[in-house]
Amino acid sequence: MKRAPAIMAFWLATIGVACADDPPAQEQVQSDISTREIAIQSNFTGIEIVLFGAIDFTSVPAIDETQYDVIMVVRGPDEPVVMRRKERTIGLWVNGPSEVFQSAPSFYAVLASRPLRAIAPEATLKKLGVGFAELDLGAEPTDEVNRARFRSSLIRLKEDRGLFLESDDAISFIGRSLFRGSVDLPVSVPIGTYTTQVYLFRDGKLLSQDDSTLQVHKVGFERIVYLLAFRYPFIYGLIAVVIAAVAGLITWAIFGRRD
Amino acid sequence: MLQVYLPIAEISVNLLVMLGLGAAVGFLSGMFGVGGGFLLTPLLMFSGIPPAIAVTTCANQIVASSVSGALVQWRRDNIDLKMGAVLIIGGLAGAVVGVWLVGALREAGQADLMISLSYVAFLGVIGGLMLAESIRAIQRARAGVPARPRKPGQHNWIHGLPFKMRFPRSRLYISAIPPLLIGALVGFLASFLGVGGGFVMVPALIYLLRMPTNIVIGTSLFQIIFITAIVTLLHATFNHTLDLVLAVLLIAGGVVGGHFGAQAGQKLKGEQLRLMLALIVLAVAIRILFDLVLPPDDLYSLTPLGTKL
Repeated sequence: MKRAPAIMAFWLATIGVACADDPPAQEQVQSDISTREIAIQSNFTGIEIVLFGAIDFTSVPAIDETQYDVIMVVRGPDEPVVMRRKERTIGLWVNGPSEVFQSAPSFYAVLASRPLRAIAPEATLKKLGVGFAELDLGAEPTDEVNRARFRSSLIRLKEDRGLFLESDDAISFIGRSLFRGSVDLPVSVPIGTYTTQVYLFRDGKLLSQDDSTLQVHKVGFERIVYLLAFRYPFIYGLIAVVIAAVAGLITWAIFGRRD
Repeated sequence: MLQVYLPIAEISVNLLVMLGLGAAVGFLSGMFGVGGGFLLTPLLMFSGIPPAIAVTTCANQIVASSVSGALVQWRRDNIDLKMGAVLIIGGLAGAVVGVWLVGALREAGQADLMISLSYVAFLGVIGGLMLAESIRAIQRARAGVPARPRKPGQHNWIHGLPFKMRFPRSRLYISAIPPLLIGALVGFLASFLGVGGGFVMVPALIYLLRMPTNIVIGTSLFQIIFITAIVTLLHATFNHTLDLVLAVLLIAGGVVGGHFGAQAGQKLKGEQLRLMLALIVLAVAIRILFDLVLPPDDLYSLTPLGTKL
């Protein structure tokens, strides 16, 4: 019976490895985006991207009666912005007080299968930074009342432009496992690297998370114009002047030479 | 349909609307013989282009219209190159100040306000003067009184200034200081308001310097080419406010509109033309003023900070 301890040891080792590597067996989430690269060119008028995913039940059997919840976050690169408020000065509306936000996401969309507060407790949402209420905009420390006003105005303005979005019923389940949600990127969508996070919840508990990235960039003519304008602005200006001068020359050649 | 994305203004505009805007202003400028920048810049602002971008892009568009205008004048030998050069030197200084000011005001969040306010003041004065003048001219024409020809001035205070230069083409021997100052003012207006400044330059050259009228138009156009080109370059380099796609649309529209406007202008009387233009200018000024006085739709505004890329 010398083999018994060996087998025992092997079993124990396997369990040990399994315990060390895997979190306690639970549902996993996998996701992907319909487009990994978005190219902006002259005919760009906005685009709808679809995030889809599936709950992986291989480690635990699907429990009927259980409600799964999904939250998706799409976040564009952070940028510093300044918020200004107009005030009436000698009959005119003039920009007055301002507040700088150092790291406001240029794009921020939160999609959920149910209202956020119904999916997870506030503490969890805060920890993940999910939802407008929990968003860190990098405000500089100034007086609280003003900051709250500027903050809510920033969110409102971004929402008006379609750059911020929070939707409670944007994710639909197809059967037990598959789900999808779609986000409209408006024409003014900022360029850069976007991150997407898909969170799977059950009974207010975060089970699994899956992250991806998405590139938004300008291509073709738009890219050349944009790069020139910001990297080689003098050459860009020179090109514009030459185009204008040549256009003037052609106009003269066609219409002006008769007299 | 036919939406075009403007890479610097970062908005999508209708191709036909922008071509039409260029053509309409080109038509007016061809009809009235003015540059049209002082109408195009506010119209672009009304259609949602940020003021600073409207100013730069209009300056670039004026390069095109002044090149074709100046070539016509050059063929007729109506350009005083020496006077033009002095005006350009003054204009360069004014342009640098204007470009710097736009940049500084943008940082302070006051560029839009100051550009709008300057437009109100500027268009209000120009429109008011033109309105009064054209009404008097029309009344005189009705009463049958011939317009009094202006007596050529003998000598005015300008002749007392130092640094006298000879301008053979204009048959003038005057100090270089007034043309330098006029050039600087026009350069400043071009960089701050996106206008060619012909409507300041032309009266200044005629009434202050007493240049012959036929040479004034050509010299003014000649100088405007260089000033608007410099302004375009400076703004593009330091403020990144030039939208090439928008500029091309406006130039294309302006070329066609300008041609037909010039034809239409020949069929109307001078006083009537000036009256119409005065009313248009005043209407634009009032519209801009309204936007400043009426409570805005939104008290809050959001501006990205720092450079892109």
